[in-house]
Amino acid sequence: MKILIVGNGVAGISCALVARQRDPDASITIISGETDYFFSRTALMYAYMNTMKRRDLEPLERSVWQKQRIELVRDWVVDMDGEGRHVVLEKGGKRPYDRLVFAVGAAPNLFGWKGVDAVKDGLVHFVSMQDLDRCERLTPSTTSAVVLGGGLIGIELVECLLYHGKKVTFLIREPYYWPMALGREEGDMVAAHMREHGVDIRLNEEMVEVKTDATGRVSQVITNKDEAIACQLLGIAAGVHPAIERLKGFTRGPALGRGVKVDPTLQTDLDGVFACGDCAEIHYPGQERPLSELIWYSAKRQGALVGRNLFGDRIPYQPPVFFNSSRFFEVEYTTVGDVMLAPDGVPTLYRVMPGKNISQRIVHDGERVLGFNMLGSRWNHEILERWILERRTARFCVDHLREAQYDVEFGRVDLSRMVERELPLTKEFP
Amino acid sequence: MVRDTIGGKVLNSIKNRGILAWLIMAALLALYITLYFTAELDGALTGLFGVARSSAWYAVLYSRWTLYGMLYTIGIVFGGAYMFYKYRHNKYQIVRTSVVIFVQVFLAFSLPSLLKFLGQPDYYFSYLWPLKIDYFYPQNILHQPMPFVIYSFVGALVAVPILTIFFGKRWYCSWVCGCGGLANTFGEPWRHLSIKSAWAWRFEKFSIHTVLLVAILTTMFVMLRGFVPGNSGLAEVGYELQTWYGLIVVAVLSGVLGTALYPIGGTRVWCRFFCPMAALLGLIQKLGRFRITVKRDMCISCGMCSTYCEMGIDVRAYAQANKSFTRASCVGCGICSEVCPRGVLRLENKWRRDPQELSMSSFIDESWKRGQTAVSYHTDEVGSLAQTGACERRS
Repeated sequence: MKILIVGNGVAGISCALVARQRDPDASITIISGETDYFFSRTALMYAYMNTMKRRDLEPLERSVWQKQRIELVRDWVVDMDGEGRHVVLEKGGKRPYDRLVFAVGAAPNLFGWKGVDAVKDGLVHFVSMQDLDRCERLTPSTTSAVVLGGGLIGIELVECLLYHGKKVTFLIREPYYWPMALGREEGDMVAAHMREHGVDIRLNEEMVEVKTDATGRVSQVITNKDEAIACQLLGIAAGVHPAIERLKGFTRGPALGRGVKVDPTLQTDLDGVFACGDCAEIHYPGQERPLSELIWYSAKRQGALVGRNLFGDRIPYQPPVFFNSSRFFEVEYTTVGDVMLAPDGVPTLYRVMPGKNISQRIVHDGERVLGFNMLGSRWNHEILERWILERRTARFCVDHLREAQYDVEFGRVDLSRMVERELPLTKEFP
Repeated sequence: MVRDTIGGKVLNSIKNRGILAWLIMAALLALYITLYFTAELDGALTGLFGVARSSAWYAVLYSRWTLYGMLYTIGIVFGGAYMFYKYRHNKYQIVRTSVVIFVQVFLAFSLPSLLKFLGQPDYYFSYLWPLKIDYFYPQNILHQPMPFVIYSFVGALVAVPILTIFFGKRWYCSWVCGCGGLANTFGEPWRHLSIKSAWAWRFEKFSIHTVLLVAILTTMFVMLRGFVPGNSGLAEVGYELQTWYGLIVVAVLSGVLGTALYPIGGTRVWCRFFCPMAALLGLIQKLGRFRITVKRDMCISCGMCSTYCEMGIDVRAYAQANKSFTRASCVGCGICSEVCPRGVLRLENKWRRDPQELSMSSFIDESWKRGQTAVSYHTDEVGSLAQTGACERRS
């Protein structure tokens, strides 16, 4: 069997490795135009900050591909014929397949800001290896930068630019940092932490126009508060969307929505063609809204599932209880279950340690716990997840919180010092 | 990308095998060769401080080994201060570094100097057989005060195995030992230079156990030579082994290469590839309670843990495959856990054993912890789930 996987991100790689376990004889090829080898996109910031070498970003030794007999091709897929079962590569011509997997990932959002089309240089994103190249090329000629988009990638880029000694203005459209995931109290805490690091944070402020100098390089950002901020680098981190631009031009390609449309087994409308990871848009029968999960963990899970479904397993994808984690400069963050996606106005227990960037938010519906947002210390999400599945009460969780702590030895946070408040969940995002 | 300032470039050159790193290595190499193979540095301290010959401390301070101990202690104290600053938010690092400094300043430097001053043999309480192989040599057993001899034997043969079963080899390798102490303080800027390849792992397993075997054989033959008189053939072998072990393992591998290679080969070249004590502790560690626990599915494969592992363990390979693990070489410094941006790793002492197998190609979750559903539990927890009704979301 000839398996072609388009995209060498975590979804495509997981798919290839599972497929190889399943069938020792299949021919497996991974096509990517971005890099020769799989790398961890989430570690781009460490390469930018000189804490890692680019080679260190590769999660697997290069000998693995040879040992697993997985062919790596550096090329872009520019066309496909779903009936003739072949794809067309930009350089490599036609490639036949028996099974085809789209794991093409996501691309940064660009909204129709005035002046963006005229920008020839100085505008960066921070999701691809090419973005890292661009950031590194522009860094020496930059003294001040503007980053827009109050999410995870935005704060990572801000941290990198600060490391390189740049003056950074962080434009956040929303009233506080990351209302998609954090409550106002946590968002304010993170914002205060960023200010301590010297970030100029502008809340409720967004870009309306970007101006360029004579060479076409970004020179100024105009905000909705009529402020002009001089900068040589503009980082746009306003979310991502399924990267299906190329697929739209395919002669006979899979059905597309916002992403590649797939059924719960992650198969497209074309026979033998699958999609997984950030680019997949999963349609469940009887559910109006399709599911798109643009996150590392889902990509890994979906890729592994497609690795089995390629062989006719037809296992449906079921998203587990949501979890995620991150680090905002030094403040660690763990979330499990539904927090800001819980129904409006449900009660939350918000616990904070006076004078420290440590907080816990436990969202519940009066009877059972729905989700957790934990900042400033480490938590075992497996236990928090279990409490959600076990339908524990919020009080039970507070009483047993100690069991879920995951701090380093000698560093266990003293939970008796937490001050607890009851707050209704209020959402402040559009 | 390197920070575009003079400080950034200097730091990068020191930390990432630039010209400054090679110069530091050359300087360390010169220092160690002078120390081990010449007597040039004898009297350097007394000269520097103008200590009079009549002074009671003269004999102690005259020795080049006192100078070496002083430099070593300065390295650990200043490196330790850097650790305190760098990891000020991490209690494990603060406690560990405090112990390292305490042991070096008192047990490994002040106390032996005081003993020498009092006319006693300079005994180091922080070193044990087989690292300090001569503690089992007849010349020491016969000439040291009895409490020291008892300490040597009880320490090496009873305390070491017991403590290692309970806490892993870290209680020694990254809390007490001077070699580890210097690596984890003065050597901190170079910890990421350790080789991570599968080839290095294979070499390490071969080399470190070979040295352990040679150390045990050497001890045996030297003991036979000392305690069983009359057999000239055995005596000859014992003498040869003692001489060559002293030169190659003690002087060259642990001293000259062990420290001088910091800026090029990383900080734990000696500990990882050659130290017989580390080999022994590693074998015991595999049977004991210590492990690094991996939080399920939370790893993003960024590789910070592997990059900053001074023992060259590919921690990421375990984390991304959801495998808690105990590697024989792990000294439990705790930096993988510290640098992990998702808080995936945790050093723990627990009795429960996890499966240890790992293929280097493992990236995918091998589902050893769970069944086929996206969320499921250890078998002993399933019963309580059925009672609480949580199972409906799993079906």
